[in-house]
Amino acid sequence: MSATGGDGRTERLLEVKDLTVGFPTRDGTVLGVDGLTLNVGSHERLGVVGESGSGKSVMGLAILGMVLPPGRIMGGSVRWKGENVLDEAVANRVRGREIAMIFQDPMVSLNPLKTVGAQLRELLQRRVGLQGRAIKQRSLELLDMVGIANPGDRLKSYAFELSGGMRQRVMIATALACDPTLLIADEPTTGLDVTIQDQILTLLHNLSTELGVSVLMITHDLGVVAQFCDRVQVMYAGRIVERAPIAQMFADPQHPYSGGLLRSVPRVDRAATELAGIPGEPLDRAQFPPGCAFEPRCGEAHDTCRGAPPPLVKIAERRWVACYNRPGEAGETST
Amino acid sequence: MLRWLAKRIIAAALVVFVVTSLVFVVTHVFTDPATVSLPLEASQEDRASRRAALGLDRPLSVQYWDFLSGLVVGDLGESFFQTQPASKLVFERLPATLRLVAGATAVTVLMGAPMGMLAAWWERRFADHAVLGFSMASISAPPFWIGYLLIIVIAAQLRWVPTFGSSGFKSLILPSFAIGLASAGRLAQMTRRGIVEELRKPYAVTAMSRGFSRSYTIVHHTFRNVASGFVTMTGWEVTRMFTGYTVVIEVVFSWPGVGRLAVDAIFDRDLILVQAAVVVLATMVVLTNLLVDIARRLIDPRVDLA
Repeated sequence: MSATGGDGRTERLLEVKDLTVGFPTRDGTVLGVDGLTLNVGSHERLGVVGESGSGKSVMGLAILGMVLPPGRIMGGSVRWKGENVLDEAVANRVRGREIAMIFQDPMVSLNPLKTVGAQLRELLQRRVGLQGRAIKQRSLELLDMVGIANPGDRLKSYAFELSGGMRQRVMIATALACDPTLLIADEPTTGLDVTIQDQILTLLHNLSTELGVSVLMITHDLGVVAQFCDRVQVMYAGRIVERAPIAQMFADPQHPYSGGLLRSVPRVDRAATELAGIPGEPLDRAQFPPGCAFEPRCGEAHDTCRGAPPPLVKIAERRWVACYNRPGEAGETST
Repeated sequence: MLRWLAKRIIAAALVVFVVTSLVFVVTHVFTDPATVSLPLEASQEDRASRRAALGLDRPLSVQYWDFLSGLVVGDLGESFFQTQPASKLVFERLPATLRLVAGATAVTVLMGAPMGMLAAWWERRFADHAVLGFSMASISAPPFWIGYLLIIVIAAQLRWVPTFGSSGFKSLILPSFAIGLASAGRLAQMTRRGIVEELRKPYAVTAMSRGFSRSYTIVHHTFRNVASGFVTMTGWEVTRMFTGYTVVIEVVFSWPGVGRLAVDAIFDRDLILVQAAVVVLATMVVLTNLLVDIARRLIDPRVDLA
């Protein structure tokens, strides 16, 4: 499979293979991420979409080799330009400088007791190695880049003195401080007003184009994916169930879960009565069925589905799906 | 900031006024200094003449006005038993109590903060368990017992420092530890929990995701966020020292402070002197809280500016 668009312009940056993150509980280990495989190429905007509890946020940090205790990475590999990110020495180099992350709630993701200027300064000083006047200059440039007016005044502001949209812009500025090649954006617009959401997405889109930064967009919102991404992976219960270019996913979802997700999104060109939920509840992660995790909620399930989880198989060029009802091309599997 | 400070100071003065008025109510409405100073079986005539002698037969409002106007110029009445101005007796003793509180606070902060930091740094490792064990032990032991133990072992057996009295810095060491160990234990636990909790917060995770190490994040990101709670808790400990620990420890160590003066005054049935000691100690508590407010305001810009 070609890295991304197949137009030869892109190179493969991030390769995640079989990444598994476990959390010990009273009932045994629960897998937050279960055999995740994904690739991000240069100049690419990949979306990972799934409902709450599907392991999206755990995934974002795990890609940087970080898991909040007591969880831990139990298997798999994360390679950045061929180097093993799960090696702490490599991770220290890659974090922030190559891959930078943007988090959901910028109110709590910025240090409440440090000014915007101080938070930019420590990055520019310690992670980039700038000194003296260059720090201030670059700080102003970064704030200007993310569309903050009067950047000079804002350097002295604390997070609590900024609006939600401004905070997320500052967050993006801190992420861009070290010129990363990949941004991991974990629900960057959740909790913001719709108009602000749109502004932030547009900003991220423009920045990724202008700076040539790839983006891994983690979201529950298919609208964000449609507006922002080139390619999308659908996650369910810690596993990828479908992977497709954006247009094909929306035109012709293959996995029953992807189909359900699409039908549950309100659209202005359809009557509200056509809005459909997915029957059943998201899985309690402690009670994994042995087979396909979606089987209990799936309308098309049969006996095979209760046996073992279906592998992610290639069903067409750039299209992969993990479903026994969608047999793939022989020999092309990628769990 | 200055406006805020002025408001805080006025509020503190108001609290002192209310507290001292409450003290007056207790010592003049529920009972009176004359009654307390006499034996229970004293006759009505004896009480009446003692009341008249102390001016307690005047209307309560007049007495209250006297009390308040005295308070403003630092006159807290006359000790019945020692026949000296109560304020003079209390203020003579105050420096010794302040020294003791300062020593105990130094022990509290200089032991509590590093222990909490060590425990958080090596979370769930040996140092963490050791600190927890130490703090549990120090918190569970009553200060008077720790003091007694220190006197027996370090002063009487090893003869490193004097067993009692307040002669110089050396004699300050044992009573300071007797009071400060438990406070240090509580502060260590609070500090450890604070740092560990802050490290899990999104801003700390964000810092680490930008490539800052755990140690850098602890020092440069969590400390300041823990500092506000640390200062507040230290303030509580100091408050408890003024109103409780020093009283007990001054008795155990024969320390010539306000606490022991108050205890002696209680045994002497000298209500005026007790009242003076309480007013001064309460004022110390209010001042402590004022200092804590100012410190928190300097640490955290979000502290209410109103």
